[in-house]
Amino acid sequence: MKMADKSESSTNSDTPTNQDELILAQQRKIQQEISDTIPLVGPLDQISSLESEYSTDTIYLAKIKDLSSKYKSIRRTRPDGNCFFRAFGYAYIEKLLDDKEQFSLFYDLVEKSKNSLVALGFPQFTVEDFYDTFMEVLKRINDIDDASDAKKELHNLFNEQGYSDYMVVYLRLLTSGQLQKEQIFYSFFIDGERTVADFCHQEVEPMYKESDHIHIMGACSVLLTGVRVVYMDRGGNTSVTEHNIPQDRLTPDVYLLYRPGHYDILYL
Amino acid sequence: MSFETQYNLKSPGVKRLMREAKELAEPTEEYFASPLEDNLFEWHFTVRGPPATEFEGGYYHGRILLPTQYPMQPPNIILLTPNGRFEINKKICLSISGHHPESWQPSWSIRTALLALIAFMPTSPAGTIGSLDYSPQERKNLATKSLDWNCSSCGNISQKLLQAPPPTNPTQEESTLIKEINLKAEEDSAKKEGGESKAKEDEKLEEPVSSPTGDQSTLRQRNVVDGSASAVSVAPSATDSLLQASIRSVNRDKFWSTIIWVILAMILLLVIRRAFFL
Repeated sequence: MKMADKSESSTNSDTPTNQDELILAQQRKIQQEISDTIPLVGPLDQISSLESEYSTDTIYLAKIKDLSSKYKSIRRTRPDGNCFFRAFGYAYIEKLLDDKEQFSLFYDLVEKSKNSLVALGFPQFTVEDFYDTFMEVLKRINDIDDASDAKKELHNLFNEQGYSDYMVVYLRLLTSGQLQKEQIFYSFFIDGERTVADFCHQEVEPMYKESDHIHIMGACSVLLTGVRVVYMDRGGNTSVTEHNIPQDRLTPDVYLLYRPGHYDILYL
Repeated sequence: MSFETQYNLKSPGVKRLMREAKELAEPTEEYFASPLEDNLFEWHFTVRGPPATEFEGGYYHGRILLPTQYPMQPPNIILLTPNGRFEINKKICLSISGHHPESWQPSWSIRTALLALIAFMPTSPAGTIGSLDYSPQERKNLATKSLDWNCSSCGNISQKLLQAPPPTNPTQEESTLIKEINLKAEEDSAKKEGGESKAKEDEKLEEPVSSPTGDQSTLRQRNVVDGSASAVSVAPSATDSLLQASIRSVNRDKFWSTIIWVILAMILLLVIRRAFFL
């Protein structure tokens, strides 16, 4: 009797494990399809290239027209949940490459950031790993004198999965550190019972977790920069909505297009 | 090590694993792990059974399979030594290992995964995948037996760790880890509806190290996945509740089923008596 029960439960438990594997395999396949067709960071495209995605949607078409009166081009990023951090990191460093002085200020800022993360309690061993790669990328770009060559190298590195993901992780860690450092302020932006630290462990630090307003605030605040997010959705009027983060900063360094669930980079 | 020539050292993932291999090169009292000689992406590990539990005195050996996207994706842990808590030769289910990739953080490491494994051994399995619910005595027997257990590539595992007695209190890192993962479980169960959730919540308050994933959270995760993977919809959650039910029946109703069998045997006896002695 006991034996029979035991073997029955073990055959039963085989099924869900296999189902689990099946689901994981299916998920991997979908992810694979996305990564085969969409580069991590794409080439510059005309704003009008968006029209083909919404050829029958009059609201979106009107908004694209409005968008193209304000911005010249768009650079798409892969929709893998990391799009904000990847777009933000790429666009900000790209912008800094036009101004060596600004770049070196940024370099110094990042260089000092590791110790403050460790002081906040992040595990030194792994933080160092991401930090080293982040600094390596900055060094490699900084060593190239010609700005357009440096931008090409930036583009190559951001399209190499290993480097690109490491950049994203370090930006996530920096953001998490900032939210935790000013947790009293940021706790007002978190719904429910979660503490800022819980929120960071669950929504900021893990890869592929999508970003919200609070992530953008943290990222801007830790790197002393500003982002303008241009919202485009199916809501009411015919123009896109623009939003500066932080609010009082009127000349952002980075322009991002937000369509529900996804960020791309915009250029004036 | 021959890895220098075998792998692309420019890949951050490879660099990271080399770094971890270096960090973990010396065995500690609690754990030891190293990559196979010819494969940086497969490691073998040994952990000591946590003190003051039914695993005390046991040594448990297993494999760690690292995905090519490590550390963006979590490692998979497979235990090889029979232990009565996790099934052997099967990828096991912790919040930190491969079955729950969305809760993994790239700043965790193989060391973190091993600490989580040790911390989870004494927790209740609560029907999670790859878990076993053996009695304390069975587990103690397996712990004693594990001293003679050999791995075909690593030899006798009880020699792998430093021999000093382990600290009795969990290290600070272990406690934060347990707290962190536990919070996830509580958050999941908070989403449940009905009276059952309250009962479970109360249970959790009393028991500081409770299971990482209640049945509900496993179900919830499945359902989330179902949305994106339409080809395998519905079926998983259905089989899952079947599994939960069967595990519950095994665990709780052993007593009742014994009684039912006794009654059945008596009826059978009566029938036989009637048939033969009419």
